[in-house]
Amino acid sequence: MSAISSPSLLEHIPGAGTQPDSELLSLHDVTMVFPGVVALDAVGFSLRRGEVHAVCGENGAGKSTLMKVLSGQYQPASGTILYKGRPRRFASSLEAQRDGIAMIHQELNLVPHLTVAENVYLAREPRLWGFIDKARMQRDSQRCLDRLGLAVRPDAIVGQLSVAQQQMVEIAKALSLNAEVLIMDEPTSSLTDAETAQLFKVIRELRQAGVGIIYISHRLDEMAQIVDRVTVLRDGRYICTERFADTSVDEIVSHMVGRALKDKFPPRSSVPCDEILLSVQGLARGSRLGPVSFELRRGEILGFAGLMGAGRTEVARAIFGADPVDAGVLRMGGAALAIRSPVDAITHGIAYLSEDRKGQGLAVNMSVAQNITMARMSAVSNRCGFIRPAAEQAVAQRFIAELDIRTPSAQQVARLLSGGNQQKVAIAKWLFRESRVIFFDEPTRGIDVGAKFAIYQLMDALAAQGIGVVMISSELPEILGMTDRIAVFHEGRIAAMLDTRSTTQEEVMHVASGRRPAAAVHL
Amino acid sequence: MSHPVAARRPPSTFEPMSMNQRRKDLVQKFAALGSLLVLMIVFSITSQAFFSVGNGMTVALQVTSIAYLGIGATCVIITGGIDLSVGSILALSGVVAALAVKAGVPVPPAMLLGLLTGAACGLVNGFFIARLRLPPFIATLGMMLVARGLALQITDAKAIGGLGDSFAELGNGALWRVVKVGADGFPDVVFRGIPYPVLVMVVLAIAVSIMLNRTTLGRHIYAVGSNAEAARLSGVNVARVTMFVYVLSGALAGLTGCVLMSRLVTAQPSEGVMYELDAIAAAVIGGTSLSGGIGSISGTGIGAFVIGILRNGLNMAGVSSFIQQIIIGLVILLTVWVDRLRNRR
Repeated sequence: MSAISSPSLLEHIPGAGTQPDSELLSLHDVTMVFPGVVALDAVGFSLRRGEVHAVCGENGAGKSTLMKVLSGQYQPASGTILYKGRPRRFASSLEAQRDGIAMIHQELNLVPHLTVAENVYLAREPRLWGFIDKARMQRDSQRCLDRLGLAVRPDAIVGQLSVAQQQMVEIAKALSLNAEVLIMDEPTSSLTDAETAQLFKVIRELRQAGVGIIYISHRLDEMAQIVDRVTVLRDGRYICTERFADTSVDEIVSHMVGRALKDKFPPRSSVPCDEILLSVQGLARGSRLGPVSFELRRGEILGFAGLMGAGRTEVARAIFGADPVDAGVLRMGGAALAIRSPVDAITHGIAYLSEDRKGQGLAVNMSVAQNITMARMSAVSNRCGFIRPAAEQAVAQRFIAELDIRTPSAQQVARLLSGGNQQKVAIAKWLFRESRVIFFDEPTRGIDVGAKFAIYQLMDALAAQGIGVVMISSELPEILGMTDRIAVFHEGRIAAMLDTRSTTQEEVMHVASGRRPAAAVHL
Repeated sequence: MSHPVAARRPPSTFEPMSMNQRRKDLVQKFAALGSLLVLMIVFSITSQAFFSVGNGMTVALQVTSIAYLGIGATCVIITGGIDLSVGSILALSGVVAALAVKAGVPVPPAMLLGLLTGAACGLVNGFFIARLRLPPFIATLGMMLVARGLALQITDAKAIGGLGDSFAELGNGALWRVVKVGADGFPDVVFRGIPYPVLVMVVLAIAVSIMLNRTTLGRHIYAVGSNAEAARLSGVNVARVTMFVYVLSGALAGLTGCVLMSRLVTAQPSEGVMYELDAIAAAVIGGTSLSGGIGSISGTGIGAFVIGILRNGLNMAGVSSFIQQIIIGLVILLTVWVDRLRNRR
């Protein structure tokens, strides 16, 4: 497929089409706007042949958006993309793929019911007389798998593979495209050390072969093994590009954060008192979860730290009655609670703010007001179940003002709000319910920095009012910046309960990965 | 019932943030209402008899079945479900009521029995969907076959006639009917009155509309369809809400059966085939989204009248029933496509 480029655009770029071969793909002043958020603000980026170029930034810095622009999934509002020296606008990821730009997604894009070979060649199956050439498909995908050193048969069903194996199949798929640009979004997040080493070997081979690789990862330490250059983004803006050899992890981090760590969190005004609000004893389900025991004090912010799947969310959902449990005793103010469903938990003043805001937290097609009152309709309706619109409106207005929710009106559909404001609506729902214990599950995921700060302030204010707050987060800085104590989860249990003031990011990380028993274990 | 694919669509064009949702709803209503008016104008031109009070009543009467079923279908579809069994349920309910009358039960309790039969079928639907977690399509498909089979079995597939005048009253009677005895001694109908089925339709539409818009139950119906998991985690009893809409749909099918059989003064076990699709079509033309969370009774009412007027007007214009089917099919495709365009972001 040839480039569809307007001649007028070419004139504005001196030397377009005659650029040196080393410049493979570049972006100039690319801006991408979503309702309420400027995801990319005039960002520039360039990738050379045979280079591994890392893109770093915090969550919400615009890395994923940048990658989606590069791979044709998003069309930027403005800016230029030069690919092999010619300005391009990819209409879809398929078009970018055909031209040799392949992306390996963080969330796996495989069809679970098909085989490995069928997935690798999905939508571009080799054909013979109009029928799928199965033999060739098997043979070719076997070659890709061999190159990755992956001991998986091409006719294995993808859904039956481990997550790590599926990740490798994604990479095999990209290899089979003979891509010239390979975008890897957190490729090692679910891989073991041995698998990571194997992947790095493949990346070095590809680099040798002249492939340009864009590499996104939170694991800055492992980058030293493969990365040539690094570009840092912050809040949707381009910060800098440097040779990895000329910089350090510390320097990259300070570019990413852009300010001293202490400024990212509000000062804590709440002081936990000794009164125990919620006590959990021996909570367990099957062999995967628990037994988990902990106590939450009035006015405390308790952090739940740990790796993905360590049981943090599972424990919160179990306490909330969203998932069944086999064993466990919950006490609130000394009285044992029987919680069989979210209705029971809500009645007792326990609230759970879901990590999956759009999937489980909000009814995004309903209005702000309707979402805020959803958990406590009885307060805005009369005895016969008739809603009092004026009362509902008043409640919505109160929380819009109190939480500074940016919305044109209380009737605005929640879908059209920015992530941070949607989160505030979800929080307002539980505040209106007058909850006594609130579980915040990844409360700042996918929202921009300013809104994050507002959420932190809110959590602190709630704790100051005597509400027990549990903060589940994968971002250690915010756990360390906001909590009083940290329950570190490992394989379904609390491996250690740490005092936030006397612990470090390293200690939490070690306990979470099960590598070292903490000094201060008290359960 | 969420649609991750739709959610991941790249937002290449943006809806202006100031775009008011209410205004958009209004535009949709006007679009459906507008097409209704266009239909009426066209048919008024093609046939002198179309635009008259008499024919208006005829259309209203013809629309009642679709409207009753459509009201139930709207509630079901708002929760993200579907009910394919209403056509069969109305047949079963009608024959149960007729058999009861034949067995000597007075008409009102017999008809109540028919209505309860429909509600019971709906309860079974709800049980399979909310408790045993069968997909609504499958559960109600099963009920569609079971109820039809039952209706045919208990009647030996024969129509039940000779049900008497009181059985015919609900379907054929009218309120404020004015009859004068003329000079020749024969009664003269001055005003045909408002037929009871039309009256029931209006009352039902208003009641269910208020239920959906003004009560917590209605709000929960929308919440379940908009995001069932979010609703559950907010303390909404999703199973109970789901049960309710299927029971409502079944009960309305039972009512439809009684009214329809009363109008014909004959209970036909093969009555109501494909009526469920008319009901769904009425809801969809009226802007109810099959993915749940969106829909209104007023929209469905308009949808029902679009179908009813199309049938009536085409009949009067002498268009064959085969061509009518083609036209109604195309209208459904067109309106839903327009709806798609409107919702594209």
